[in-house]
Amino acid sequence: MKQFRKLVTPYCLWLFLLTVVPMLLIVFYAFTEKGTAITTFSFTLENFTKFLDPIFVSVLFRSLKLGLLTTGVCFLVGYPIAYMIAKCKDTTQTILILLITIPTWINLLMRTYSWISILSNNGLLNKLFEAIGMNSVNMLYTDFAVIIGMVYNFLPFMILPIHASLTNMDKSLLEASQDLGASPIQTFFKITFRLSLSGVLTGITLVFLPSISAFVIPKMLGGGQYSLIGNFIEQQFITIGNWHFGSAVSLILAVFVIGLMALIFMAEKRTNNSVEEEEGGWLSNAKRKKVR
Amino acid sequence: MKKLISYVAVLAMALVSLVGCGSDSKEVLKVFNWGAYVDKDVIKDFEREFNVKVIYEEYDSNESMYTKLMGGNQYDIMVPSEYMIERLIKEDLLTEIDWTKITNKDSLDSNVLNQSFDPENNYWVPYFYGNVGIVYDTTKVDAADLEAGWEVLRNEKYKGNLYMYDSERDSFMVALKALGYSMNTTNDAEIEEAYNWLVSQRETMNPTYGTDDIIDLMKGSEKSMAVMYSGDAVDIMSENEDMAYYLPNEGTNYWFDGFVVSKDCTNTDLAMEFINFMISDENSLANTLEVGYLTSNTHAAKEASENDFDGIEAYAIRMGSKDEVFAYQEMTVKEKFSNYWTKVKAQ
Repeated sequence: MKQFRKLVTPYCLWLFLLTVVPMLLIVFYAFTEKGTAITTFSFTLENFTKFLDPIFVSVLFRSLKLGLLTTGVCFLVGYPIAYMIAKCKDTTQTILILLITIPTWINLLMRTYSWISILSNNGLLNKLFEAIGMNSVNMLYTDFAVIIGMVYNFLPFMILPIHASLTNMDKSLLEASQDLGASPIQTFFKITFRLSLSGVLTGITLVFLPSISAFVIPKMLGGGQYSLIGNFIEQQFITIGNWHFGSAVSLILAVFVIGLMALIFMAEKRTNNSVEEEEGGWLSNAKRKKVR
Repeated sequence: MKKLISYVAVLAMALVSLVGCGSDSKEVLKVFNWGAYVDKDVIKDFEREFNVKVIYEEYDSNESMYTKLMGGNQYDIMVPSEYMIERLIKEDLLTEIDWTKITNKDSLDSNVLNQSFDPENNYWVPYFYGNVGIVYDTTKVDAADLEAGWEVLRNEKYKGNLYMYDSERDSFMVALKALGYSMNTTNDAEIEEAYNWLVSQRETMNPTYGTDDIIDLMKGSEKSMAVMYSGDAVDIMSENEDMAYYLPNEGTNYWFDGFVVSKDCTNTDLAMEFINFMISDENSLANTLEVGYLTSNTHAAKEASENDFDGIEAYAIRMGSKDEVFAYQEMTVKEKFSNYWTKVKAQ
């Protein structure tokens, strides 16, 4: 394989051009402002101090709050589903996982549009409410609509990693736990949940990151007045045309995200260690065996 | 088996690239237009008649068109509004129109030609034009409330039940006109007052901001009132009989969208042919019926207003003494509006 290693070079070059250079451009824009001529730029920190306005900071916190809520709901809904799927026969599992992924084959915009027609005042749900004699409820353009849309779109990313970690689990551990007299609930929390934690953390990362930077779903289901950090950045770039301020906000968001990723990474490391320590060499042996 | 699949895949890819080559011999025209702003069949007819390929792209605001253009995208023809045309002229991004090739010019409405941003019509050919008004649901809105003009948008009877237009210019236009100022003001105090109007409206009325997504929702009577462009209003009113259109007496914005040819355009002859084709009587009628905006072609406009859009008052333009064109803003003024608008949106 060694002789093929050079073949990677063009790929690396490509990767550098298409991902690293744009990121460097964002950093460059964030720390500069337009000079008097089009080609002159001057260094400034003003873009960052501008963001310190309480109104703008509140946008960032609103996004974090919504991201946390979405992730929480995804976890509460996703874990039981993943658990139940993992309990099924292998063939049934394949079909169920396929069913979970099928919606992601359809474009996100289409799926979100369909939610508009479900949630709107004269939409499907309200028609149903009226049919059974209830008052219609205003759902579109509320937090509820935005969270529904986000959970619906990101749920597969929570279910899939949890399901993977549950099915890769060594079933003999469950038998051992029951042999030693643990109740099913104890077994679940001491063995199953613990061993699926890495999947849970992956799921949390995969859901949380896109949900704090989402802008299409909140725009469509929350209305244009529903401002999250993603919408804010989009607005700066597309309609206002202030790329410098937009880049600075993107950079602030990126720093936040990297910080959160580091936290999750540390949490993951600690859970892995603590599981191994608590269960002693016995588990590590079992693990090692599996690797082989 | 795997090998077979990979052979098939390679073959398929090769075929796809060959197909790509086949169509390259035709001349190509890149047109950048507003979303839902043309009858697509007219474009197909043009392709057939001139044996060319039209690459047709859409945008949702003048600003996003400008951003894409500045981002290095190359287009031959664009259809911006008058203030953006003025900006493009000032920044030397346009090619002059060759009026000798625009043989259909006699049908053009002379009222919209020779505007102050381009007195000699050197750079633009008018396409559609109209106003910004309020579309309201006659079953829910009391006609007497509309006497308040733009202030009806702050009538708490309709709290949570109205759409604002999600754009810096249109929002400030509404606020400035409601306060009785000119939308072209450069007075700091007036601009700040308009900002406060918008903020207080957000707080007391809980409006929903939207652009083209509103059109379908208003057809379904989602809310009682919406700030709308006249052509979108025509579209809604021709599908929902409960809807009516109202232009406040305090005055509103009137605007013109027109064809311009970019400086990068390599085939200006073809570009002129395209513009000329689009404003012919027959094609103007097809476009205006599809889109709902008032066309610059007088024959087509007459035909449409007497038949399909008979009785729909939004199919017109009001250029009264209190109505204004929201003109191009100098960068310092524009920046003030932008900063305020960013804050309005972030509330």
